[in-house]
Amino acid sequence: MSATLIVVLVVIGAYLAAHVAFEWLARRFMVVSGAEYLLLGVLLGPEVTGLISPRTVGGFAPLMMLALGWIGAVIGAQFFIPALVRIRGMLFQVAFTEAVLSLVLVSTIMGAILLWLFPLTPGAAVVPAVALGAIATASAPSGIAVVSQSLGRRGRVVQQLEVATAVDAAVAIVAFGLLLSIVHVTPDVVPRAPTATEWAVIGVGIGVVGGALFHLFLWGERQIDRLFIALAGAIILASGAAAYLGLSPLLPTMLIGAILVNTSSNRGEIKEVLGRVERPLYFVLLIFAGAAWQPEVAGWVLPVLLFLVVRLLTKLSAAWVAAAACGALGELGAGWGRALLGQGGLAVAIALNYRLHEDALYADIVFTAGLLSVLLTDLLSARAAGAVLLPRLRRNPPVTSTGLSSLEGEGD
Amino acid sequence: MRRLLILGLLFGGMVLILPLASGGQGSRTLLTFGFLILAAYTVGEIAASLGLPKIVGYLVAGVLFGPSVLATVRPEGVARLAPVSDLAIALIAFLAGAELKWDEVRERGVLLLRIMTAELAITFIALAATVWFLQDALPFLRDAPPASVAAAAILFAAIAIVHSPAVTMALLTETGARGPVAKTTLGVVLLADVAVVLFFSAAMAVARAIAPPEGVVATASVGLIIWEILGALVVGGLLGVAVAAYLRFVGRELLLFAVLVAFFGLEIARLAHVEVLLTLLMAGFITENVSPHGDDLREALERSAAPIFVVFFALSGAKIHLPDIIPLLPLVVPIAAVRAGAIWAGTRLGARWGGAEPAERRLVWMGLVSQAGVAIGLAAIVAEAYGALGEQIRNLLLALIAVNETIGPILFRRALARGGEAEA
Repeated sequence: MSATLIVVLVVIGAYLAAHVAFEWLARRFMVVSGAEYLLLGVLLGPEVTGLISPRTVGGFAPLMMLALGWIGAVIGAQFFIPALVRIRGMLFQVAFTEAVLSLVLVSTIMGAILLWLFPLTPGAAVVPAVALGAIATASAPSGIAVVSQSLGRRGRVVQQLEVATAVDAAVAIVAFGLLLSIVHVTPDVVPRAPTATEWAVIGVGIGVVGGALFHLFLWGERQIDRLFIALAGAIILASGAAAYLGLSPLLPTMLIGAILVNTSSNRGEIKEVLGRVERPLYFVLLIFAGAAWQPEVAGWVLPVLLFLVVRLLTKLSAAWVAAAACGALGELGAGWGRALLGQGGLAVAIALNYRLHEDALYADIVFTAGLLSVLLTDLLSARAAGAVLLPRLRRNPPVTSTGLSSLEGEGD
Repeated sequence: MRRLLILGLLFGGMVLILPLASGGQGSRTLLTFGFLILAAYTVGEIAASLGLPKIVGYLVAGVLFGPSVLATVRPEGVARLAPVSDLAIALIAFLAGAELKWDEVRERGVLLLRIMTAELAITFIALAATVWFLQDALPFLRDAPPASVAAAAILFAAIAIVHSPAVTMALLTETGARGPVAKTTLGVVLLADVAVVLFFSAAMAVARAIAPPEGVVATASVGLIIWEILGALVVGGLLGVAVAAYLRFVGRELLLFAVLVAFFGLEIARLAHVEVLLTLLMAGFITENVSPHGDDLREALERSAAPIFVVFFALSGAKIHLPDIIPLLPLVVPIAAVRAGAIWAGTRLGARWGGAEPAERRLVWMGLVSQAGVAIGLAAIVAEAYGALGEQIRNLLLALIAVNETIGPILFRRALARGGEAEA
């Protein structure tokens, strides 16, 4: 059977499965859809049935890079500064503290675990450890959105969680983007190899210069179809440039999304266009991520299980410490971090980006850890968020939207 | 002007980036593909400001940044993007089928059939005769025996009569024209698309009989040709019923679903060895006419049609190899003129025979000049079957298609404007 036909059958199967099974589950048990596509990809990939071969997965690598770039742009488009400055500063303090603590703690602990389990130098262990830290930092807003929508109310905790998931995403993307700049191995096609700092500047430069140029390019374009063509071209170009240089497409496209939404008068149309193909690309990304799962490193089970435990404990304790340090424990409650346990599209995107990177160390472990974390937490994210939100939403007065929930309904 | 300047800066940035990595071919393709989309978009807007159809701009951008001029997109990049091109043409075929309403087909079927018959017959005879008379001017036919010249003339004419559903749909989407000239042109183009497949198969059989190719390929049986057509109708019909069922029972994520249907239709048609375009045309036609929700899918497709046309025509432009075409232009321009004249005569005759409105009699021929993907595909078959002679015929055809692909949209847009169905 041809590769394309298989892919089409896979996607149709996934979609129908999602429609029949997960809509019912979502209504009945507050399960957020997304993980089912991942699971289906794993089932049809080389590790289980082999219907999608590694060659097919490799052939669609450019499409995956495009999906990564699109996710980055959607996340960046959340950061509309005039809306952000209306949010209380304390919410950002809590969110940044929680995100940075999660990143540092998970990276440190996982680095130690990898050193203990595998014959690695400390310098080499830093790379997969920080990648795992970035994955662990990402948290999905979908569970929070499901609960607050089902109640039809918003409160301070919802606002804090929206800020926290957005900041988690930004911190995860920046950390991962810088990591790939640092571990970059320069091919011998240039006379002098750029340093890690120069690679980081190049990555950020693609985003900033691209954002400025695309702002001028898209300026004044309000017709959705034409805007779609130009914006798709811009994201494909930026993703392609980053991927070509061996950098992560997530960071430059996040910058482009943020620049466009802050500098363009047609920001509403830009967000509409980004949302138009976000879902199809997200589903395709999940399926291919599942199909790309093919662990070759022996003994991946223990580090992956340890990662899941470390993330759980770190996320809860980082959230508690952040709230306590900023004096918000009374308002948020000791267990508010439970609502940040859910993971989705961004965690998959980072894991897949690491898996596709040529110079990645222990890519299988990092990728498997990311996928398993999404599979487990996505199913429970709405219930975990519900446990935090339900008592407080019933008690506290409603507040206005933060404008940081553009990824509701999706993974991250 | 602003966009052109930014495009220049992006091009400069890309030139700076390229030496920094040897990169995977896939990511380089993605990089250049993004640039090609922006370039096509910009040149398309410039074309529109000059009163030309946007697709002419997309084609020009494809030629300019394609392998034969600036080589921003390399030949291997164009080859890698072939599935994107295939998907675009499948979506266009599905959309074209969905534009046909059963009531209109029943009402105007005889008229369309008469226009098509007269137009195809006169154009075929005129073009075959032109090649025959031009044999001394064509280097590859100068010393050929009469049988080979006759075979070449038949094959050339059988492909040169082909129209372009893609250009027709692109112009109708761009202008929003839905009047009698638009509908009759679309009807004739789609009907002719079915007829030329049959006609080409017959022409190939005749050519093989009078001048058998040296040591190549078995002749396709009549059964296979019939299966290619009838099978496409059956497979497309079943696909259309399945799509209608989806719309009835699920009816969500229509854009994603439309893309999947196009992919699926392509693969099924290839596996079943049936005509791809006809399969998707039929699927679109059945969906639109069987399902009460067919309009929803058609609207979703129409919303995504603009990017599809940009991609398809920019890639079509990138496939045009100027160094092969330019030397042939002195020969191709008179052939293109003969073809256009024959289309004019045939269409007028057919329209009069079918009792068409005066505007249709005067203007429909202008929508039939365009050529694109289908003709290129058939030219490749001839090249494969006839070796060196086939290659020469293909080059001549590609040059003719390049001319018609550029002039055709301009003429069709003018026809729609004159008929009062689009802005001038």
